[in-house]
This record gives sequence, C-alpha cells and structure tokens, in this order.
Amino acid sequence: MLADDMACNARNKYPAQVFNNENHKLNLYGDNVEVDYHGYEVTVENFLRVLTGRHEAAVPRSKRLLSDEGSHILLYMTGHGGDEFLKFQDSEELQSHDLADAVKQMKEKHRFKELLIMVDTCQAATLFSQLHSPGVLAIGSSMKGENSYSHHLDSDVGVSVVDRFTFYTLAFFEKLNMYDNASLSSLFTSYNPTLLMSTTYYRTDLYQRKLEEVSVTNFFGSVMETIHTDSAYRTTHSRKTSETKMPLQESVKHDERRQLINSNVQDQTSDTKIEDKQCPFTRRWNAFQDKLEKIERIDSLVNYGFIIMFPLLLIIMFPLLLISTWLLPTFVS
Amino acid sequence: MSEISPEVPDNRQDAPSHVDPNSTRITKPGVKRLVLTLSVLFSLVLGFPFLWKSVEIYRSSLPFGEISEMESNPSLSFPCRFQAVFINFNSNPSPNHLQLSILDKITELTSNSSQCGACANDLALSVTVDSISSCTQTHPTDNSNYYRCGAISAVDFDFSNDDDDGVDELLESVLGVKNVYSVVVVNGGGEGIRAVVGKYRHAWIVGSVEEEEEESVLVSRVAEIFVKMFVNGGTENGLIHGEFMPVGADRRIVLSFNLLNAEPNDWVYDWDFQRVDETLLAPIIKVLGPIANISVESQVLYHTPKSSFSYWDEKWKSYIFSTKDLPFFVNSNEWHLDTSIAAGGRSKILQFVVYVPSAKECPLSLLLPTGEISKTNGFISPMWGGVVVWNPPGCLNSETNHPSRHTMSREDLQAVFEVFMGQFRQLFGLKSNNLYIGASGTYHLLPSGKGFTEWELDVLSRQFACFNLHSCATTLGSLSRLVQSLPRMIIMDEIGKLVQFSLEAAKLAQSNASLGDNESSAVSSGQARSLAEDAFFHPSIMSISYYSFEHCFAIYSPFFLPVSMHVLLAALREWKRYKQEKAKYTAWKAKVKVES
Repeated sequence: MLADDMACNARNKYPAQVFNNENHKLNLYGDNVEVDYHGYEVTVENFLRVLTGRHEAAVPRSKRLLSDEGSHILLYMTGHGGDEFLKFQDSEELQSHDLADAVKQMKEKHRFKELLIMVDTCQAATLFSQLHSPGVLAIGSSMKGENSYSHHLDSDVGVSVVDRFTFYTLAFFEKLNMYDNASLSSLFTSYNPTLLMSTTYYRTDLYQRKLEEVSVTNFFGSVMETIHTDSAYRTTHSRKTSETKMPLQESVKHDERRQLINSNVQDQTSDTKIEDKQCPFTRRWNAFQDKLEKIERIDSLVNYGFIIMFPLLLIIMFPLLLISTWLLPTFVS
Repeated sequence: MSEISPEVPDNRQDAPSHVDPNSTRITKPGVKRLVLTLSVLFSLVLGFPFLWKSVEIYRSSLPFGEISEMESNPSLSFPCRFQAVFINFNSNPSPNHLQLSILDKITELTSNSSQCGACANDLALSVTVDSISSCTQTHPTDNSNYYRCGAISAVDFDFSNDDDDGVDELLESVLGVKNVYSVVVVNGGGEGIRAVVGKYRHAWIVGSVEEEEEESVLVSRVAEIFVKMFVNGGTENGLIHGEFMPVGADRRIVLSFNLLNAEPNDWVYDWDFQRVDETLLAPIIKVLGPIANISVESQVLYHTPKSSFSYWDEKWKSYIFSTKDLPFFVNSNEWHLDTSIAAGGRSKILQFVVYVPSAKECPLSLLLPTGEISKTNGFISPMWGGVVVWNPPGCLNSETNHPSRHTMSREDLQAVFEVFMGQFRQLFGLKSNNLYIGASGTYHLLPSGKGFTEWELDVLSRQFACFNLHSCATTLGSLSRLVQSLPRMIIMDEIGKLVQFSLEAAKLAQSNASLGDNESSAVSSGQARSLAEDAFFHPSIMSISYYSFEHCFAIYSPFFLPVSMHVLLAALREWKRYKQEKAKYTAWKAKVKVES
C-alpha cells in the first residue's frame, strides 16, 4: 500500500522514481515492484479490510491477502504517527486498538501463523501496545515520547529520501546473501540508538520462539517451506488408455466446430421471433422512440413545446387560483 | 407576569374594605398557560419512544445458543464396518476367538490417536473362516452385506505370478460393497507373508501359516491394515501439518499448470496440454467431486530464471542443486504464476510448475541429503503446489546456437504428469509411493488410474468432513462473539440467513456421517463451512464504521437537551404559579365563608 504522495507528486523532479540514497543509484520503484493499493485507495478502511479479509465479492485476488494457517506475514508501516496512532494520507488515523482488533480477528480465523510488525514513525512503540494475539512479534523505531528522524536530505529532489530506521534496516539486508543464516535477534540488535537518534523497542511476549533461533528468512525474502517428492505415482494401465483415446478426440473436435456454426443461425432466428412477441406497450414505446429519432430539428420541437406549455398551464391553474383566493376564505370566515 | 385581578364591581356585593392581592384572589386562576406548557412537555415525552425507535440499529437475530452448542461439539462419528475372511486354514481356528483378538489389537492401535474420523464408538467386525470342509462365521447384525461362504477359494489366488490387479478385480466382484472394508487372509503360496492393499475397499494377505503362534502375526497384520490403511489412510498424523486442507473456502480448487522456459534463447518447449487434460486429469477431477470443485488452467511462460544457484558435479555429470536451495527455488519476482482470472477471491490455487533449465545449467539434478540423486527431480510446498525440473533430452551434448522450438514428447509428458500426480497426493497428505512400512510388516499399495483408490477417497472425505465441520464451528463461534461485542453494528438479514443455512448444512453433515455416507457428508460439511465463511467475511462487518453508544448520545443531545430543559422549567414554573394562585383563591373563599 503506497499513497504515492511523493512518487506521483507534481513537484517531484524525478516522477515515478523513489530513491533510498541521494546518489540515486537504486530506484526502489523498479520494474518488478508490484503495488496493489496506491493513491486514493490507501485508507484505513481498506487496510483493515485487507488484514481481516472482508472484501466485496468483486475484489480481485491481487488485492487480497491470500494467507492461511501456515503463513508468515511481514507488516512494515512507515510515515507520520504519534501516541497510539498512525497517520494515513494526512486526513485519517489508524488507532492502535483498531490494529489490535484486526490482528485478533485474523488470529481467530487462522489467517497467519506468525506476524512481524515493523513500525517506523514517531512514538512507534505505542502503535502495537494493545496487541494480545499470540504469534505476533513487533518492533518500533522509537518509544513513547521520542521522535523518529529522517536520515539525510537529498538536495536535488528537495526532500529527505529515507528515514533512519529504514536506512539501517536496508543496510543490514544489503550485507546478507541468500545462504547466510542471520537471526532475527541479530537484526533487532543491529540498531544503534545514537545513530538512530531514538530507541528501538520490540516486544516478544506474544511470540513463542526464541529470536536467536529464528532466521530472518522466516519473514523476509519470500522463502517457502519445501518437501521433496519421493516417487511418481505410476499405474500400469496409463499407457494403454492414452493410445486408444487418440482417434476419438479428433472426431470430437470436428463435431464441436459444426455445432458452433449451427448456433449462430439459431441466434438470428430467435432475434426476429422476439420482436413479434413484444407486448403492445413496448411496441408503441419503440415506435415513439423511432419517431423521435427521425425528427431532424430538435430545437423547433422544444420551442413548440414551450409555446404550448404556457396556455396549458393557465388553463389548469385558473380553477385552482379561483378556489384558493375567492372560494376558500369565504368558507373559512 | 403577575395577573391583575379584575375589578370587583361595587354593586355586586358588600365587599370587605380591601383585598390583598398577595394572599387572596377573587376569581379562579386561569389554566390556559398551564395546559399549554404541560401539553408541550407531554408531546416531548411522547415523542421520545419514536426517537429511540428511529435510531435503533437493525440487527438480524442470530441463533447464539445453537452456535455455542455446535462450537462445543463439532464432531462427526463415522461407523466402521470391517470383515475378515480366512481361507484355507486347515487348523480351523474359531471365528469368535479371532474376532476378539483382532478387536483387541484394533483398540490397542487406535488408543493413541484421537483424530476425528476414526471409529471411536461405532465399530463392527465380522470374521469368516472358510475352508474346503467347513465354513463358520461370527454373526453380524446385518447379513446382506457380508461375505457368503464359498465365494472365494484358494485356487483363485494364483501364487506363481503376482497378478495383483487380477486378484483385485476378482475380489471386487465378490466383495464389492460400499462401506464395508475387508481383508482376505489366504493360507498357501511360498515362504513368507505378502500383504497387498487393493484399489477398492479390500486387501489380502497371502502366506503359508501352519503353527498357532503365526496366527497372532496374522491377527496383528489384519488389525494394522484396518487401522493404519482404511481408517487413517496410510499416513501417520493425518494431514501434512495436521490441520489444513488445500481447498478454498468456496469449495473450489484451481489447478494451474505452468511450463517455464528459463532461457528461450536456448530452446523453447511447448506441450500438448489438451490431451493430458482429457485423458489424465479428467478422471481425477471427477473422482474428487464430493470434496472440491476442481478446474484446470495451463500456461507457458518464457524468461523465467530461478533465483538459486547450481554447480557442476563431474561424478553425476550434471549441474547439482541441493535441498538447501529448494526454499529459494521459486523466484516470485520473475515467475508470474498467479494470473488466473477464473479463480475467485476465496478459491485455492495450486501451482504445478515444469521448469526447463537453460543451456548453461542443463541437465539440472536435485541432490538429496542422503547423497543420492532424486528420481523425480521435484518437490512440493504445502498449500502452494509443486515443481518438477525437466531436462530436455540430449542437452549436455547438443550445441544450440539458435533458439529452437520443440514440443515435449508424449512419454516425457506422461512421466512428468506421473510426478505431478504424486505431488498432488502429497499435497492432500497421502504418500506418493506404493509401499507402506508398518510396525508389523510392509504392505504393497496398488495404484489407481484415477489417482486415488476408493479407500483413500473415503479417508479424504472423512477427514475433509471433519475439518470442514470444525472450521465451520469455530467460524460461527468467532462471528457470534464479534457480533455480541459490537452492540451498535448492523447485522443484515443476509448474514442471519447464511448462519441459519450453515447450521442446517452442518446438522445434515452430522446425520449423514452417522449413517456412514462419506460423500454426502463431505459435500454438506463443505457447504456448511463455505456459508459460515461467507457470513464471517461479509463486507459490512467492519467495526470502524459503527459508533459507540456514547458517540450516538453526543450527536443527539445538542438538539434535544437545551429545548427539553427549557420546556421542563417552564412547565414547572407554571405549575408552581398555578398552585400559588389556587392557594390564594381557596384562602379567599374560606374567608368569605367565614364572614358569611
């Protein structure tokens, strides 16, 4: 979910590009980035709908969180925030109790096995203070009463490009390769409070496993659990049946083609039949509409209409006027 | 505001010298103002119930009692009917004795597993001993479904060659009855004991047994077949992780088959999927009908490299990747697999991927931790799907400088689909190989052309029904707790109806299960779960949209509180004034009475 208020800002000199460093080496909005909700769709309601899964029936799969009992979910939130809230689009707030409620409902419906929440805002640790569901691990960039700061200013673009917590998280992951077995505790302890200018706080009371034993690929990197397939499932009959069925299928294809042509002809005949069976009202209405379409000068029709309207009004209104002004008062008084 | 008492005309009476307007009055006090203010007050009070009704929230009533009752007991009890037939045992063991010992063994094996779907309460076993000279049976309650004496004899089992399929068909023609599982034990044949489980609902054990103590071996093997195979499906702990099934909430599965060409500049492979769909997949889809509504899609993708690395190994003469690379094999950035338009939001998609490596990495083989090369070159990810690496033939020697288009040969496609079939079975929690190694011995499992044997389908239906019912009960329980915690949330009629239909379907599933009808109980329990999920995930249940009672009060009170305060004060004041004037009047009247 990206509000795109920077990437698509009219004053952005590099439109649709977001950099993490003022050297502009890495465009975070590259070719492979898939954003499901952007711009006006980023609202608190949509966010909670994504978490709890309560969408309208027509919402496509790419906009849903398709998780199940064994999924590990990473939730990374960054922006402006404060004591027990996070700001959305400069107009709405996500309250900590709404987030806790959504997580509770997710847990009841078994929509995740483990959830990691990382928050990079001012007073970030207050946002997950109301969580109660098991299997949730949360880390915030600052504690209550502290601010979170940006890392450096990009004088070319004119704004700060990255926040400190995000910068050091990215730096940690850039140093890893696929086969390193870094643990979550090494990630959480890599944040230096003097460099961040705030104290990171994380809560592990709801998470059963020890952080030293959990690898970062548990949440990052879209890594799957795999089981090897020992053997194929072979039957002795399979070869024979496939050969005998070959000639049958070719004939089936011809039949299908013939049937297609037939159905077209049938459609045409059914169309004409429909017209005869219409009821008289629709027939007259259609005739009226045909006539209307045939009139060439609509303006004159409108003028005629106006001219006819005034005398008609007078004729209708006159008796009513009579009654209201003369007859009624005599009856009353 | 004080009233001026009217002038008393002098000629009317001999009035006393003066009247004190502060303590007496001569005329009755007027009631018009009092009536006016009281009527305004009463109309305000009368209007209050109408206001209350107009801000009432429409909440369709949910059957909370029934929901909590179902949540506390979401179980299905399936009846189990077993029979054992012993043929050609000249020592003529007593069937009742055999029945008791088999039942003992069965209860011993089922005591440590408490899965749903196991025959906890309703177990019936019938034993027949049939030899040339005599035939004795224990007395089953329902005679018609059980074995008739003399239907099978030892000559039917041709011990020289292992024509298992022939024996299977013969036994099916004799024993083929729904809901009854049979084991035929035949004395004869060569050394040792061979046990085979057929494609239908029976198994047979062939062995030469002469002594008494080997009888207990046979008894334990018979019991193991009954419990481990026919009840538990040949798996140890039920499903892969014990809990979930790869079926979507709307009872649909979409099987998505993808052929991935990693480097089209080297070669491009295509496949004749239509034929495979019609010959191999159609029977499987039909057979799994009661469990899920399956649809199939396929696509061919290009430029799809994998993200893990491989190295050349001289010993195996191929590029090797190990099981440590498997979690990183699927490259979610480049492989755009989940592009199905037909799949709805709640369906489950299972991806089956055939990966054709590039010329730089061909042939690509999977090295197992045991040091061997994998025979299938494939792996699954639970609840996601499976991947098979297929190496184009002769890729090590060929020099391809230009991209060439090929189609996978029929045999190759067949082999790949056999691996897929194994993976599909693995995703459902069954084993993909044909051998089961139990505590008492090994068992050969006959494979079925439809992908699943009938007893495996029974096991799947039972486990599905159990899982669906459990899921339905927990969903409805969560929904009722959620609804009760938000008293100001609108509950639409639709939700009430969905809950009601779901409870009805759940009851139907429970009654079907107790009658032993696996398929229809799977269908109705699937419907129950689907309806319960529709109710729980209804888009109108969003807590953020509904105000608390304090909020509602805060909205309405600025309108009514000031007005009602003024009206009340006015009425009170008028009432006080009326009482004062009335007192004055009665005082005067008393004085007049005294004087006259």
